[in-house]
Amino acid sequence: MISRYTAEVGTATLTAGLGLAAVVGALEFGIGWGDAGPEPGAFPFYIGLLVVAASVGTLIQATVGRRGLQSVFLHREEAKRVASFFLPMLAFVVVARLLGLYVATALYLSFVMWVQGKYRFVIAVASGIAAAVIFYFVLEVAFQVPLLKGPLEAALGLY
Amino acid sequence: MENFASLLHGFGVALTTYHVMLMMVGVLLGILVGVLPGLGAPNGVSLLLPLTFTMDPVAAIILLTSMYWGALFGGSTTSILFNIPGEPSSVATTFDGYPMARQGHATQALTLAFLSAGFGALVGVILITVLSTWVAKFALRFSSPEYFAVYFLAFASFIGLGAASPFKTVVSMGLGFAFAAVGMDTVSGGLRLTYGFNELLSGISFLIAVIGLFGIGELMLTMEEGLRFDGIRARVKVRDVFKTIATLPRYWVTLLRSAAIGCWMGITPGGPTAASFMSYGLAKRLSRRKDGFGQGEPEGVVAPETADHAAGSSAILPMLALGVPGSATAAVMMGGLMIWGLNPGPMLFVERPDFVWGLIASMYLGNIVAVLMVLATIPLFASILRIPFAIIGPVIVVVCFIGAYTVAGRPFDLWLALAFGVVGYLFKKLDYPIAPLVLAMVLGDKAEDAFRQSMIMSRGSLSIFWSNGLVATLMLIGIALALGPLLSIVLSRLVKPKASSAVA
Repeated sequence: MISRYTAEVGTATLTAGLGLAAVVGALEFGIGWGDAGPEPGAFPFYIGLLVVAASVGTLIQATVGRRGLQSVFLHREEAKRVASFFLPMLAFVVVARLLGLYVATALYLSFVMWVQGKYRFVIAVASGIAAAVIFYFVLEVAFQVPLLKGPLEAALGLY
Repeated sequence: MENFASLLHGFGVALTTYHVMLMMVGVLLGILVGVLPGLGAPNGVSLLLPLTFTMDPVAAIILLTSMYWGALFGGSTTSILFNIPGEPSSVATTFDGYPMARQGHATQALTLAFLSAGFGALVGVILITVLSTWVAKFALRFSSPEYFAVYFLAFASFIGLGAASPFKTVVSMGLGFAFAAVGMDTVSGGLRLTYGFNELLSGISFLIAVIGLFGIGELMLTMEEGLRFDGIRARVKVRDVFKTIATLPRYWVTLLRSAAIGCWMGITPGGPTAASFMSYGLAKRLSRRKDGFGQGEPEGVVAPETADHAAGSSAILPMLALGVPGSATAAVMMGGLMIWGLNPGPMLFVERPDFVWGLIASMYLGNIVAVLMVLATIPLFASILRIPFAIIGPVIVVVCFIGAYTVAGRPFDLWLALAFGVVGYLFKKLDYPIAPLVLAMVLGDKAEDAFRQSMIMSRGSLSIFWSNGLVATLMLIGIALALGPLLSIVLSRLVKPKASSAVA
């Protein structure tokens, strides 16, 4: 169980970190006045500072109003549901990088339908493959947009 | 009159079989993304955009705007039938639309929603027709400092008028600018903020951000809430439709007031969501049947729907005439214009009148097509939501990632989309507004160019932003808006010192 206060502080720290990254990154390119007006780093530098300042503002607001933020941000049950959605999605991206988007689509849809949708294995796999084939025809044939492909497509000669 | 002649010319451009067909396809796709949870107008347009790169710009913008209308209609359908707003801007429609449907007046609620939405959109488009040339002519006098002031004003109004904490709005906006700065610097041509990653050399596309923030983030939120559809069977009876049409003139005051609110919020970047809530609130306060609100009062459907669509369509005006989009979806479309090689802003009216007026004419036609199509296809789309979420959810995920890949064909974008998805989920749960981030990503380079050119003009002195009446007025309004939340806190402390100390 995570409280709203923890979530607020965590997110504000994250945004402050991103702002700081912009500031540090911008310093490398000069933040002063160059031959052609303001140097490339100037704008990101001040934007980064602004993000850091506003994040600190959020942090202060959260700390001052801490008592009002004790409500639950994420229940155990909710966390489980989000994880059961997020983890297969993460796996989908990893597989897509390795085997291409079509294979990943078929695997991902079959897996989710079979495990989480409680469909029969054969139906789930058939639907997954069918969806991948439909995507192939819509994108590569109809719109001529190439997607990320992997070893399977290479073996089938679909380039 | 000059506008009227241009508009007729525009109808000539828009009224071809091919374009009308594109409108129908766009509206259908739009209703689909509007109905599906997790997909809305901004990311529907983002997903479709890469597929239009090879199309003629006029045809492409007709397809995208039609999709926008369809998505707005689809969003209100699910609000009424399922009590699930398909779009943030149709949340206010659930308050009275769902109770009406539960009492067996689904047809009436849907018809009222669609017609008042159509009316709102029409008012928005008429406003664009009348004002656009004038605004564009006015904007031709703008140079860099004025442009920077307009951008500043747009972002300041997010801070001043938004419902979220001003700090969170600034964080969201600033991150958008920072993401926009990654990659090539448009002034010097050098690379910056890539931190040694080759993947970041070509920058971070705003389309990836929209797909992640709106699509994947929204889906995660939907999953967390444990989605359950308790739909109401909708059978649209033709006779009920006509009966409802006959009752519409009764709501003329609400219609006009809501359309006015919508147009105002659409032109200033308040956006459709704020417009629909404001309009609902006002309708409730001013109505003679206050108690009926929340229990199926037809006026409670008419008010938010009219304002929502009036804002949605009038958001196109600042995008076309000034190059400052009034909503997240308009921001995505403006990004599209720039990708097609068009430069939104006053010069567009001079250089490509066929494009501008074809687009405006297509907005009249597109909305008529949308109202007819949505009435005809509602039962079909309502049945989509009866497909189990274990199938629909993952399919939407796949569509989002495929969309992210098609933007530039870069595998790295898949990771970016996932990361933006997580950020979107956190931001939504913690009430960070997302529209400023998207707007900042689209406008980032232009705002920075305007700032740097102003600095070059003035040799580094900020006083250029006060150098003439026009730019000074714009900056002053912007500063007043940005400091608005602060001022109201100070004022309320001063006026009621006892009340605030009691709370603290």
